[in-house]
Amino acid sequence: MNDVLAAVLEAIAVLTYVALNAFVLIWLERKIAGHIQRRVGPLRVGGPSGALQSLADGIKLFSKEDFRPGGKDGFVWWLAPLVSMTPAVMVFIAIPFGQHLIIQDMNIGLIFIASITSFGLLGVFMAGWGSNNKYSLLGAMRAGAQLFSYEIPAILSTIGVVLAAGSLSLETIVAKQSAHWFLFPQIIGFIIFYIAALAETNRTPFDLPEAESELVAGYFTEYSGIRWAMFPFAEYGSLFTSCALATTLFLGGWHGPLFLPGWIWFLLKTYILVFVAMWIRWTLPRVRIDQLMDLGWKFLIPLSLVNILGTGAYIALVR
Amino acid sequence: MGLARTVWNTVKSMVVGHAITARELTARPITIFYPEEKPEYPTGSRSVPVLKVNEESGWLNCTSCGLCERTCPPTCIEIDQAVDPETKKKKPWPHTFTLDLSHCMVCNLCIEACPFDALEMLDVAELSTYQVQDLKFNKEQLIDLWKTGKAIRIAEGQSMPEITTSDPRGGR
Repeated sequence: MNDVLAAVLEAIAVLTYVALNAFVLIWLERKIAGHIQRRVGPLRVGGPSGALQSLADGIKLFSKEDFRPGGKDGFVWWLAPLVSMTPAVMVFIAIPFGQHLIIQDMNIGLIFIASITSFGLLGVFMAGWGSNNKYSLLGAMRAGAQLFSYEIPAILSTIGVVLAAGSLSLETIVAKQSAHWFLFPQIIGFIIFYIAALAETNRTPFDLPEAESELVAGYFTEYSGIRWAMFPFAEYGSLFTSCALATTLFLGGWHGPLFLPGWIWFLLKTYILVFVAMWIRWTLPRVRIDQLMDLGWKFLIPLSLVNILGTGAYIALVR
Repeated sequence: MGLARTVWNTVKSMVVGHAITARELTARPITIFYPEEKPEYPTGSRSVPVLKVNEESGWLNCTSCGLCERTCPPTCIEIDQAVDPETKKKKPWPHTFTLDLSHCMVCNLCIEACPFDALEMLDVAELSTYQVQDLKFNKEQLIDLWKTGKAIRIAEGQSMPEITTSDPRGGR
């Protein structure tokens, strides 16, 4: 009974955190976008900073008409937002926010996260297929190609860390970084992982699946109201989890000078990575689909294989 | 060599681009919060031609010659010359002077045409009304408008004065 209660409480805590985090990130993104373009961004809702703008938008989205497109594949269309949002929430189970501040420390934590994030592609493809819309299907096709291509370098780039730490458990990986972060021996791995994470969360240099100038809104063209809101929710959730995973694997997780508790260091590093992702989004233009594929298959995958080879050789010869 | 150059150019352009956006991120936004914060109009902004009052005599400079009426492309100016009721002789001032701002295209031609320095261009932009006929200004309204803002006359090939605004966001 206590286990069930604990599980329910943990689920509520995670869902609350994901929701609040998405609200904050959407507000932050709009503020940063505004200031980079020398505008001011959201305003007046909840004080002069517009901090409650996302909440107002959320209420608006809840109260919108539940529009269903004609000719849709009903069940698939209905299920797609949920399937695409679930992995973004489930990844939180395995992320260590602080020492012992983790819902479930698995000895295969990294494999769990890799498999769960790949699952998100299914929701995207279901949305594109079920909508019975050419833009949705094209967006879903692009998303399929892109997520499939970038899943490989993302996973390969983490293998260097796994070799160095000798464990797949995320808590052990962080614990191994108490002396020095894995960023400096694994700088190539970090760069590959970060680029691949941007591509997997469909953020701007790689936002081809939802390129609004070509595909209206990509795979979620036919969604509106709260169903639509689940896609940005999933997107910002997976942006956060990607950055949290990068922090865990490369930036020493909760480790930091002692004057602040570990979870603050963890969130600080993660939100700095999130900020950099937003900065990149509002600086770089969208790449072409062939450039995207070239970067993934001809550059990142060979480089990550070289990285694994170098790390393995170092560990075999020096240690 | 080709690959190295590509990578170098990519990295360089990314660093330069991010430096530019970082600079813009910390710069002051150029947004003006209009109803609360009024922008400073650049000198020479046009909103409506108004009737100038001669500061020495206190009368209008207008002699009712009708040149502005004739030169006006959308014919939005109507002038009725004053007539002495006893002698039936025409007098050199307007009895009525009507300007329909809903037709006026603010081309400055009436001011260019005026030989008596009687018309000036106002720079106050907030003149909207709920009824289109309220935009038909009579003589007294045009004089009142002249008194509210700083109207200037730019005519006869005279170049625009230097833009003098203290606000760095103005005059863009």
